[in-house]
Amino acid sequence: MSLSARMIIVLTFVGLLSGSFLATVDLLTKERIELNRQREIEEAILQVVPGTHSSQKLYEEKDLTVYGGKDKKGILIGFAIQASGIGFQGKITLLLGTNPSIKKINSLKVIDQKETPGLGAKINDRESFLKFWDNKDCSNLLTLRKPAVKTQEELGYSEINTVTGATISSEAVLNLVNSSLNRLRQLEKEGELSSEEQDVN
Amino acid sequence: MSTRSIGQEFVKGLWDDNPVFRQLLGLCPTLAVTGWVINGLAMGLATSFVLIFSSLVVSSIKKFIPNQVRIASYIVIIATFVTIADRFMAAFFPLISKSLGPYIPLIVVNCIILGRQEAFSSKNSVGRSFIDALGMSSGFVLALLILSSIREVLGVGTFLGLQVMGTWFKPWIIMILPPGAFLTLGILLGIALHIERKTKARK
Repeated sequence: MSLSARMIIVLTFVGLLSGSFLATVDLLTKERIELNRQREIEEAILQVVPGTHSSQKLYEEKDLTVYGGKDKKGILIGFAIQASGIGFQGKITLLLGTNPSIKKINSLKVIDQKETPGLGAKINDRESFLKFWDNKDCSNLLTLRKPAVKTQEELGYSEINTVTGATISSEAVLNLVNSSLNRLRQLEKEGELSSEEQDVN
Repeated sequence: MSTRSIGQEFVKGLWDDNPVFRQLLGLCPTLAVTGWVINGLAMGLATSFVLIFSSLVVSSIKKFIPNQVRIASYIVIIATFVTIADRFMAAFFPLISKSLGPYIPLIVVNCIILGRQEAFSSKNSVGRSFIDALGMSSGFVLALLILSSIREVLGVGTFLGLQVMGTWFKPWIIMILPPGAFLTLGILLGIALHIERKTKARK
């Protein structure tokens, strides 16, 4: 057999074998990976819209997905907005829970961030940052308290505490929240948040 | 081809030919994922899986592969096992898979793996290649564990997420940042070289 024929046969054989192996592995793991992804979203929604019994995706565009959380009777009890924006070092992805009238933030959760560990990454820390978002009134535009204060009581009505030493990361989160809230209100006005689309569960 | 005993074949990967400290291979993952012990361990085990299975396959089909296409064949074999490792981790360890991000698929370009196929598995029996891969993997896991333990303990005061340093300890945040990886690796390489020289001088 000539050398080139042998080369072609060997490479084809190796490729075919590898391909069929991978197809099998994909078949075995695909369902589970998809399930993990879904469970992750569901658990996150439950955290920001407490009491959610079932959730469904209401609207999706680039860098913004809106989920509706419903209780056992099927009544809408809140929105969960997944939004992404640029932080100090990379993309920040947040999940924000609001009440149905979009006047109050239930809580905020950081899904993904690449901020500096020890500084900007504290936007994912409850004590330094996230707790200030709990039950925050958001009928007015939210602002940042600079320099940071120690306790919740020192903050103004629509003020959020800054993470010390990470103004840019804190501002990125604040702007992302404000712009997603505006977009959510706009979408609601336009009637885009009807619950016709498919269930997440 | 090799004249070493089976035991020596295994032990050489731990020290004499340690992929990280002696061969300086696979430094990308070594530097990038060793901020936390759990990440270092997961990366080490995933790389070991790929290395061991690639060595087994390459050493058993080495006779059929024409010399001209050997690198291409090795890479396809390695990439297959990397993809299997990647999918497996995404399915069963989603959290670790998420925190390692692109570094799992990047095992495919880890020089330790292709290097062992070129230097060892393509010339030795299946059994010896298996022992060699096992030794090299252990050496790599060991190196990642040492590096990540130092970085996690000094950087955040924890080991595998458990608090090990007292409240008096002020974490050296730089240790879990990229510069900490270079500092730790540099110092460890220095120590390794020093020990090597000492043992050579004694002989």
